[in-house]
Amino acid sequence: MGGNGGMNGEMRRIWAIGRVSMLELFRRKDMYVAVILGVVIVVPLASVNLFGIEGIVRYLREISLLLIWLFSIVIGISTAARQIPAELERRTIYPLLAKPVARREVVLGKFVGAFLASGTCLLFFYLLFVLLSGMKQGAWMTVCMFQAVLLHFLFLALLTAMALCGSIVLTHSANLALSSLVAVCMLLFGQRLPDLADRATLAASILLRAIHWLAPHFEFFDLRLRVIHGWDPVPAQAVAAATAYAAVYTALFLVLAFNLFRRKQL
Amino acid sequence: MSTAAIEISDLRVTYGTGQEALRGVTLTVPKGEVFGFLGPNGAGKTTTIKALLGFISPTAGTVRLCGLDPRTPDARARLGYLPEVARYYDYLRVDELLTFYGEICGLRRQELRSRVDAVLGLVGLSSAKGKLIRDFSKGMQQRAGLAQALLHDPDVLVFDEPMSGLDPLGRRRVRDIMVRLREEGKTVFFSSHELSEAEMICDRVGILKCGEVCWCGPTTEIAGDGKGNLERIFLELIGDEESSTWEATAA
Repeated sequence: MGGNGGMNGEMRRIWAIGRVSMLELFRRKDMYVAVILGVVIVVPLASVNLFGIEGIVRYLREISLLLIWLFSIVIGISTAARQIPAELERRTIYPLLAKPVARREVVLGKFVGAFLASGTCLLFFYLLFVLLSGMKQGAWMTVCMFQAVLLHFLFLALLTAMALCGSIVLTHSANLALSSLVAVCMLLFGQRLPDLADRATLAASILLRAIHWLAPHFEFFDLRLRVIHGWDPVPAQAVAAATAYAAVYTALFLVLAFNLFRRKQL
Repeated sequence: MSTAAIEISDLRVTYGTGQEALRGVTLTVPKGEVFGFLGPNGAGKTTTIKALLGFISPTAGTVRLCGLDPRTPDARARLGYLPEVARYYDYLRVDELLTFYGEICGLRRQELRSRVDAVLGLVGLSSAKGKLIRDFSKGMQQRAGLAQALLHDPDVLVFDEPMSGLDPLGRRRVRDIMVRLREEGKTVFFSSHELSEAEMICDRVGILKCGEVCWCGPTTEIAGDGKGNLERIFLELIGDEESSTWEATAA
């Protein structure tokens, strides 16, 4: 038998689990829905010339980017949330865990598979967006656009880690609902939580401040306004800080997921 | 260095509901032995196997696999497991499935390729190599399960109901594989309802009843005790009580 231990062996096992998860997702044709969604994203941009109105371009770009964000949330959560429950439901977890693999590696492998599969869809959406924006409006890839895509990928990593963690303790539907609620609410109200807390009653204020400090601030990764209005890129330090923030929160969710899965009686 | 492949000592498992699934199971299976683990439905066979594989934590007692804690990857590197209900990744081809499991076991590329071909040949699935698992019949899935259990050439094999869902030809093949494994010096621990199969293949059998081992001994002892075959012993130990309980429930 070949080498089984060490960092190299661990990385190989994580990659093998991630690759198989991704392969299954694509072969099951679940991800083909991304092509349909891609067409939906493209339609507003492709219709720019039909309107022939200068000011409407920004509005259409805004709609396209909003759809990209919406679809990435749906795909990211639904892909990550079904990884471990599907293994338990199909009982494929038993032959897998009977092999020399740590439960930590299974969680990491599932995260890699879910992130890569949903990341491929996100990349496809952005490629369509940049291609159409470039061809119709001459707005090719800018520094700001690059930052927006990078931060969106970090958002996706954080989102999939959160949904994966939720899938170990919650039922599938509860996890889908809660993860979607956290993602959408934090994107919409994350920045306004301290203001809302100032104006709320004592109990509500404590609750809002707890959410402000504990929940991941997904709005940090949203640069849509800068892309739509063609504003300057954000400082490199801000991108680095957002990257570190995403890395820390993703790691926290994965460590929590591993600890919950390690204790799970199968 | 332990000479026992499997050591289970005073194993107790109580579920969250308070139900006692195992009430002090003690068993030792020496290396190179084929051990049949028998008992009626709900006796605790699968729970024992789950504890043996580290899927559940015992409430009390200890389990050792080749002297190691079964929850460690080192112990599981020496183990091949066939689950009771064998289901695998529907959208993988059987060769992809085995390659995946081989990578998890740390087999190198070249070795892996030859091992995949060898085990597919052994279980009679060579011609189905390029087929998706979802297109497999129940019996073929069971054979694919057997192939993944044998892939990394483990020292100890744990089979949970290996004959389940197999036609007579499939049963014969599994029986031949088990005999071959014994000849190779492997340890085989399997649970079964098939008493005649167990009697034919096993060196020793253990009978589990209500979470306790009520009888354990060599199959040669069964033939020589003048009482008849394994089925008769099994029914004497379990059958009457089980059937009277069943009749009382039905009434």
